Amino acid sequence: MGTVEHLGRGAGRISGDLGELAPSPRPRSGPPPGKPDKTQRVVRGVGEALITLGMVVLLFVVYEVYITDLISAGKQREAAAELDDRWSDPTIGGGEERQDHFGQFGEGEGFAKMHIPKFGADFHFTVVEGTTAPSLEIGPGHYTDTAYPGEPGNFSVAGHRVGKGAPFNDINLIESCDAIVVETQYTWFVYRMVPLEEEKAGWAQGKGKDPRCEGVLLGGVYEGLVGQRIVLPTNGDVIAPIPTDPTSTASAGESASLLTLTTCHPRFSDKERLIVHSVLTNEYPKDPSKPDWRPPAFEEIT
Amino acid sequence: MYGWIWRHLPGPLAVRVALAVVLAAGVAALLLFVVFPWVEPLLPFNNVTTE
Repeated sequence: MGTVEHLGRGAGRISGDLGELAPSPRPRSGPPPGKPDKTQRVVRGVGEALITLGMVVLLFVVYEVYITDLISAGKQREAAAELDDRWSDPTIGGGEERQDHFGQFGEGEGFAKMHIPKFGADFHFTVVEGTTAPSLEIGPGHYTDTAYPGEPGNFSVAGHRVGKGAPFNDINLIESCDAIVVETQYTWFVYRMVPLEEEKAGWAQGKGKDPRCEGVLLGGVYEGLVGQRIVLPTNGDVIAPIPTDPTSTASAGESASLLTLTTCHPRFSDKERLIVHSVLTNEYPKDPSKPDWRPPAFEEIT
Repeated sequence: MYGWIWRHLPGPLAVRVALAVVLAAGVAALLLFVVFPWVEPLLPFNNVTTE
């Protein structure tokens, strides 16, 4: 083994002593630096392509989680402003009798506001007609074949959980008896989540004593109804008028008024659906002389 | 690829840096506002309705 001093590479950088231990250097092969050969070019190209792909995927996550929120926030604001205009226009709607009329809404048109006091007094979304992708970009969407707010049957609403305003991001945190308030042109409807399966056993002695929980536990054909559950996307029964008996032909008079929320589960996946069932417990006609009045359900959570 | 683009950018260093930034921003905008909105409905993670 010779010392490295004799070879160009490393000359003057490694002392003679260390030269004894250094591996024997080979003469440099290939073209001089600055002109990579074909292999190097290919390897570099593949590396750059992979890095680029990674950046694109990262950017997609940013798009999905933040940019769609921005776009949806604008659409939601527009829908809310349009709805406010309509509600304040005396020539539209029920007129003198102050009665809500539903069923003449176009796809993507707002017709109600949903408030969830548990998520803060200012948490509200304008609910639009229809559950197509463009409608759901505006806000929570009403399944067109289901009941309207306050009607007997099952007022069912789908909403995004991630991105696009994510109106239903936290609906798994709603607890039994928590209020979901639906505001229409002339009425406030207060729905409350029905008990969870595990709460039902000791309901009358336990949580059922809470005055908020009056009328929340349903019997009869609704016996098996639970506040929250996770189902497969193919389970359309959850939005049936009576989810526990989807083939029922019960008349409107025998049906309770339910509100069902559906969203994706787990977050970032469409494997399953998270379902929240609630039942109408109170309704309050709006008093035109007190436009700022809100149902007492807003005071429950501080 | 990036080296090739860099070598083909005209002007002094400052101009090249500015051009590179503009190019990158253009690609990002194209992805965010054209490609992603188109590709997103085809991907399986934002369906919230039941059938």
